[in-house]
Amino acid sequence: MSHLLDVDHLTTRIRTSRGVVRAVQDVSFHLEAGETLGLVGESGCGKSMTGLSLMGLLPPGGTLMDGSSVRLDGRELVGLPEREMTRVRGNDIAMVFQDPMTSLDPTKTIGHQVAEPVLLHRGCSRAEAAERAADVLGMVGLPHPRERMSDYPHQLSGGLRQRVLIAMALANEPRVLIADEPTTALDVTIQAQILALLADLRARLGMAMILITHDMGVTAGHADRVNVMYAGRIAESAGTDRLFHGMRHPYTQSLLASVPRLTQDPEVPLATIPGLPPDLTEPASGCRFAARCPYVTDACRAQEPELTGPDEHRYACVHPTDGPRLPGTGPLAALPRTAAKPSENGAPGANATARPLLEARGLVREFPLRGGRVPGVGRRVVHAVSGVSFTLGEGETFGLVGESGCGKTTLGRLLVGLDRPDAGTVTLDGTDLGHLRGRELRCRRRDFQMVFQDPFSSLDPRMRVGAILREPLRIQGIGTTREQKDRVAELLAEVGLPERGADLFPHEFSGGQRQRVGLARALALTPRLIVADEPVSALDVSVRAQVLNLMKRLQASRGLSYVVISHDLAVVRYLADRIGVMYLGRLVEIGSADDIHLRAAHPYTAGLLEAVPVPDPEAERAKHGAAVTGELPSPVAPPSGCGFRTRCPLATRRCAEEQPALRSFGPAHAAACHFPLREPAPEKSAAPTPA
Amino acid sequence: MTTYLLRRVGQAIVVIIGVMIVTFALIHLEPGSAARATLGIRANSERIAVFNAANGLNRPLAAQFATFVKQAAEGNFGTSYSMHQPVSTLITQRLPRDAVLLGLSTLVALAIALPMGIYQAVRRGRAQDHAFTVVSFVLYSMPDFFFALLLIAVFSVQFHLLPSQAPQAQSVGGILSDPRGLVLPVVTLSLVSVAGFSRYMRSSAIGTLAQDYILVARAKGLPNRLVLRRHVLRNSLLPVITVLGLQAPAIVTGAVIAESVFNYPGMGLLFYQAATSKDYPVLLGSTLVVGVATVVGSLLADIAYSLLDPRIRYDHS
Repeated sequence: MSHLLDVDHLTTRIRTSRGVVRAVQDVSFHLEAGETLGLVGESGCGKSMTGLSLMGLLPPGGTLMDGSSVRLDGRELVGLPEREMTRVRGNDIAMVFQDPMTSLDPTKTIGHQVAEPVLLHRGCSRAEAAERAADVLGMVGLPHPRERMSDYPHQLSGGLRQRVLIAMALANEPRVLIADEPTTALDVTIQAQILALLADLRARLGMAMILITHDMGVTAGHADRVNVMYAGRIAESAGTDRLFHGMRHPYTQSLLASVPRLTQDPEVPLATIPGLPPDLTEPASGCRFAARCPYVTDACRAQEPELTGPDEHRYACVHPTDGPRLPGTGPLAALPRTAAKPSENGAPGANATARPLLEARGLVREFPLRGGRVPGVGRRVVHAVSGVSFTLGEGETFGLVGESGCGKTTLGRLLVGLDRPDAGTVTLDGTDLGHLRGRELRCRRRDFQMVFQDPFSSLDPRMRVGAILREPLRIQGIGTTREQKDRVAELLAEVGLPERGADLFPHEFSGGQRQRVGLARALALTPRLIVADEPVSALDVSVRAQVLNLMKRLQASRGLSYVVISHDLAVVRYLADRIGVMYLGRLVEIGSADDIHLRAAHPYTAGLLEAVPVPDPEAERAKHGAAVTGELPSPVAPPSGCGFRTRCPLATRRCAEEQPALRSFGPAHAAACHFPLREPAPEKSAAPTPA
Repeated sequence: MTTYLLRRVGQAIVVIIGVMIVTFALIHLEPGSAARATLGIRANSERIAVFNAANGLNRPLAAQFATFVKQAAEGNFGTSYSMHQPVSTLITQRLPRDAVLLGLSTLVALAIALPMGIYQAVRRGRAQDHAFTVVSFVLYSMPDFFFALLLIAVFSVQFHLLPSQAPQAQSVGGILSDPRGLVLPVVTLSLVSVAGFSRYMRSSAIGTLAQDYILVARAKGLPNRLVLRRHVLRNSLLPVITVLGLQAPAIVTGAVIAESVFNYPGMGLLFYQAATSKDYPVLLGSTLVVGVATVVGSLLADIAYSLLDPRIRYDHS
């Protein structure tokens, strides 16, 4: 009965000014050495709080309730004096956190920070601790660990910092590692590297691991067993294969169905979970998922279902379902299909050449480095965008993908005239934005609007939503006060928010609702083009699907054109007709969504697609290691020739000497590679893709 | 760092020249003349003319300014009209006295305020936090002359524990050899400034405590006191450094009220007397000293910044 880690009836409450939050409710599970347990759920479901409860690191006001028990190798940790508990933390149980950019002390060297837990727990000398730190840093794949010991965190990239954090957690070879969203803040290529590293280290050190994540794809590939959490409780617990193929809880089913996939038919709306997770200060009696469940009956609201079933598969549901919901089946099948857009009738991109709404030609944007004048070299600059050209037709969506730092956000700002290119032109409906100045430009802005990534910081916290939505109309002098207010009501209805929302402040809305406000604000001036920079990356899976469906619906009803910037290939796949893959400021491949996903010609595109975790255990296990190795080179000194050559498995000398030009691989499909994965199209039938 | 320092020194020279021009202009724009103030209202126009000629006050302003700058560059700020001593002598006598008193008070204030700010941040929103907030605001809102007199009334007059007068020695060594005399002035000056520093430290430490790397430090198994000492203190100090840099000129401008209450003539009283008697050479001399102190203070703060925070490197090399 005794496992390495036994958690029983773990119940955590947090006293806040708003009341007592029942963050974790009666959570029980166990863990064996060498095993990985996935803890999956949306934000606020209690998965992180479960991890912190195990570590005894509750926030102020947090307490474990009576009956909670955490036993490590039979030793009870709950109620241990703080002195004893500090000997467990970082020694027997260690934790890796989500954000590597903020999780290291900026004023201390990484060597010092990794040596700190060694010094603390092993009672060895400083020199021995430093030696151990260098060893561990080497083990987690930090290049030249001994030389880099004296580096400060800001000198390392996000991926390397996460390696340092892992090294810190593993320095004392803990028996249990809690990894709390260890890759959420990282790019997919780096995510794959870090996850592979964690799996390898777990096997080598024989650790047990708790992998906390919101990502069903990450869970599928890396967990042996999975606990699905909802509103502070475990909703379902099973082995990974069984959970993905034979889930019984409707929440698990809905969660999985709402994940956009690379294989998604973009014509079928994503499944969504209506509503929001319950407020944990006053949870209603009965099943906590009842308010959002498609199968709900009165019995569900009468009493809270217990977690039942054999140890291999337990679930808390009155009306268990059986297995995954196939797209287009189940209670959501009745949703209308989005209207087909004109561009999909002909060849992809055909419409773009017929009547381009937006045309970017040879865009270049460079940012000089402060104090970067080096004698003999001249001014050092960040090459953010280096010669990007593409066109976008009326009613089309252009998706822009790439890792962080590839220049996609800078490009987005150039497209809407929030920044001016150093070279090249942006033409919108025949007008060159570069020639517009002052009043003329401001007036023209009504045609192109932007939706931002962070719905928390992109809305003025001191303005009511009504005022936020009216502001564009007021600035552009459109309509009377009465008409503007009517327009606000229409906009709210259009994005699915209640009319009384106009009187509320942004903080009174959830993240998904705020992003709807952001969309409504962009729509206020009935623009023709919306540039959306990571529109859903800050949102939970179920809410993400709602916003993505809304964006599609609005496009169909208003004939909007979108440029969607995202690091998430599945999101872009779902929204975009055509996709551009960016690397170090250049488009390395451009084509229809199918070209990119089914007929990728550039090794980078293929690697990027391979790195996306898919919510399918077999497919994930079939992958071998990281698809793209290494890190994005510095845009200050990009590699000669092909920018991708430093990470490309196919690179030869030619790639270093000669920069590849975009070559045609079919109608409107082009890639810039000397050694493409497919045969380029014969020169004469080259499509009119701007190069 | 060298190029950065050179650039900053260049900036400092420009700032100081600007300060001198403005001071010079303001002094001469003011109604009433130095001669009147020095010689008294009974002086006839002849005596005034003689005074003006002797002190070069009958020359054009630009010429007077040029002479002042030229002499200042040689360390000669002229002779005080009212005290008949070279200004440089007056300043070198008084400046160290203030540097000792105010420097010591600032150190004592920091020694109290920094731990207090961190403690309040840790206990944020609880009774201890509120209690310290009340105490620091009471001290902050208390006029320093009142506080000084209160201390004198209790500790000197009532209980005869401490002298009511600050050390009268002229040299730094002499002042420090009378620590009992320093207690009341230092207590007065430090307690009134504890509030400012501790509020900064509190809000800064609250920000630091919410950082992810503090949670990481706890997860390593560091006991609370080590988390505070190793990770919270240094990171929370950064905003306080700026305030400290701005505090530097206060050390040389002196504290008029404390100086007069404790009978400790320093720069504050010197400046005050010079202003009321239109003693131009003293005014210009001490303004220059304050200007230099301000510039040097903020330069020191910037250097301290770069030492405490490795992300700040002024050369970008």
